[in-house]
Amino acid sequence: MNAAGGTAWGVRDLRLDFFRGLSLFFIFIDHIPENLLSYFTFRAFAFSDAAEVFIFISGFTAALVYGKSLAQRGALVAIAQVFRRVWQLYVAHIFLFVIFTAEVSYTILVVRNPMYSEEMGVGDFLETPHLAIIRALLLVFQPTFLDILPLYIVLLAVFPIVLLLLRRHPLLPIALSGLLYGAVLLRGWAPETLPEHQSWFFNPLAWQFLFVIGATAGYSRVNGRWPFPTWRWITPLAIGITALVAAINIAWTIHWFYDPFPPFLAKQLYNHTIDKTNLAPLRLIDFLAIAVTTIAFVKPHSAFLHKSWAWPVILCGQHSLYIFCVSIVLSVLGHFLLAELYGGIPMQFAVNLVGMGLMVVIAFLLEWYKTASGRPPASRPRPRQAALPAASSESPR
Amino acid sequence: MTRYPALIALIVLAALAPGGRVFSQEAAPQPAPAACAAPHDLIADSPRFPALARRFHAKQPVTIVVIGGASTAGTAAGEGEANAYPHRLEEALRRRHPGVPISVINKGIPRQSAEDMVARFARDVFPYDPNLVIWETGTVDAVRSIEVGDFAAAIQSGASLLHQHKAEVMLVDMQYNPQTSSIIDFEPYIDTMRQIAGLEEVYVFRRYDIMHYWSDQGSFDLVNVPKGKQAGLAEEIYRCLGERMADAIDYAAR
Repeated sequence: MNAAGGTAWGVRDLRLDFFRGLSLFFIFIDHIPENLLSYFTFRAFAFSDAAEVFIFISGFTAALVYGKSLAQRGALVAIAQVFRRVWQLYVAHIFLFVIFTAEVSYTILVVRNPMYSEEMGVGDFLETPHLAIIRALLLVFQPTFLDILPLYIVLLAVFPIVLLLLRRHPLLPIALSGLLYGAVLLRGWAPETLPEHQSWFFNPLAWQFLFVIGATAGYSRVNGRWPFPTWRWITPLAIGITALVAAINIAWTIHWFYDPFPPFLAKQLYNHTIDKTNLAPLRLIDFLAIAVTTIAFVKPHSAFLHKSWAWPVILCGQHSLYIFCVSIVLSVLGHFLLAELYGGIPMQFAVNLVGMGLMVVIAFLLEWYKTASGRPPASRPRPRQAALPAASSESPR
Repeated sequence: MTRYPALIALIVLAALAPGGRVFSQEAAPQPAPAACAAPHDLIADSPRFPALARRFHAKQPVTIVVIGGASTAGTAAGEGEANAYPHRLEEALRRRHPGVPISVINKGIPRQSAEDMVARFARDVFPYDPNLVIWETGTVDAVRSIEVGDFAAAIQSGASLLHQHKAEVMLVDMQYNPQTSSIIDFEPYIDTMRQIAGLEEVYVFRRYDIMHYWSDQGSFDLVNVPKGKQAGLAEEIYRCLGERMADAIDYAAR
C-alpha cells in the first residue's frame, strides 16, 4: 500500500490519471439528462459516484504536486502555485458560466410559456441579470451542473493551510477536517448564501473531508511515509463492503425494472445514501472501501495502464481541468441535440460516443501543444524529473 | 441506485418492440383527445386505495384534496380553476362513477417547496377530511436545488402525516419539457420521490414520464408553441392529465 519511496518521486502514478480520466467520462455521461448510458457508470454499483472519485484524486494530486513544491522550493512558491491554479479554475468556471447563460437565455425564450414559467421561475435569471452575474462571480450562483468547479476552487483556495499542517504532522489536517465534517453532520452547518434559497449543491464544509483524506494519502508520496494504519483486515473488509454495496445497488436496479424483485435493505439504507450535498457517511464509507479495493487490485504498474486503449483515458485524466470544461460544454450540447432532434437509443449512443471522442481528441491536442512547446510528455517516466518538480496536470502553466 | 434512464429504456424498448408503436419525429398537427392515451405501465403503481374502493362501491361521498403548485392551480389554461387538471379529474371521476358524490378541491399555490406545502396541510388539507390527497410537488425543490435529503425528509414526513389522518395518498411529480430539463436537474428529485413513495406505500402518478411519452409520440409539441396557442395547449394537457389521473385512481381503487 505504501507506494512512496525513491521511485515514487520520479514515476508518475498512471492510476491517478486513469481513474480521474474515467471519472471525467462518467461525469460527462451523468450530466446528460435521461441518458441510458448513465445507468452503467460508477454510481450503478456504488452509493457514491464520479464526483467522489474526482474530488479524492484532486486532493491526492494537489498534495503530491504542491507538497513536492513545498519541500523543494519553500512555502512561498508552493502557495503561489496553488493560487495560480485557483485562478485558472476560477477563469474556467466563468467561461462555463457564460456558456450556461447562453443556453439558459435561449431556453427561456423558447419556453416562455406560462404553463412552465409560472411554476419554475426560470425567467428570474434573465429578469435580474446584473444580480445573477455578480452572484456567479462570487461563486454564490451555481446553476445546475456547474457545481463541481466552485467546490474545487474553494477547496484549493484553503489548501495552503492543509499543506502547512501536513508538513507539521501528516495526520493533523485529517483530524481537524474530520471534526469539521462531524460538526456538519450533527449541526447541519452550511455556507451562508445570498438571498433566494439557492444553496451549494456540494457543501464545501462536508466535502473538504474527502479532499483532505485524498491529500493525506497523496502527501505520503512526498514524505515517504504512509500515514494510515495498515492492519491486515482492512483490505478484506473494504472488498467485502464494496461487493455488498454493489450487490445492493444491483438489486435496487433490478427492482426498478421489475417490481416483484425485492430491493434489499432499501428501507434501512436508502435514506442514508441520498444526501450528496453533505457527503452522507454511507457514501463516504463506500467510496473509501472502493478506493482501498482498487489499490488492492490495481497496482501502479498494472499492465493495462500501458495498453493502448487505456492511453486516451489517461490523457484525459492528465488534462483534467480542460477536459472537465470540455465535458460540461459537450454534455450541454449533447442534451440539446437529444431534446431538439431525437432522443432514441441510437442517437444517445452516438452522442455519448462522439462526446467522449471529442474529449480524447482535445486531450491529444493539449498533449501535442505541450510536447510541441518543448515540455516532455507528462505521463512518461522522466530521467530529468528533478529539474521539473511540479510538471503534471496540476502544475501551473 | 435506481435511476430515471431505466424508465426511458423501458419506454423506448416498448416502443421498438414488435407490434409496438414507433416514435415519430414529426408532431401531430392537432392533438385529438384520444392522442393522450398512455401505456398502462406509466399509469400503474403497486400501492392500492382500498378505502376509496369501498366508498366508490358503496356510493358514499368522496372528497379529494389536490395540494400543489402553479400547475395545479392551473392559471396557465385561463378560466381560473375550471380548466385546471383537478377539475378535469373531478369531471372524469363523476362520469366514471355515476351516483357517487365526488368533489375535488384545488389547493394549488405557486412557487412552494415540498416543505412549504407540508406546512399548510393543517390549513388546506386536514379540515376537509379528504379520503384521497393528491400531492403535486418537487418542481420548486428542483429549481431551487434544495438538498435532496431535505426534499426526501419533507416527502416522508408529509406522507406519514397524511396517512395519520387516514387519507390515502397519491404523489404527482413534475411537468416535462424537453427544454427545461436541460437547465434544471429533475432526475435526483424524481428518483427520490419514487424511492420514498415506495418505502411509504404511496402511489406515484408519473406526470413527468407521461408528458415525456406524449412529447416523444408527437401527441403534443411542448417546445414550439406560438403565444396564441399556449393557453389552449395547457388546457388540453390538463384535460388529458385529469383523464389519466382518473385511470390511475381507478386502478389503485380496483
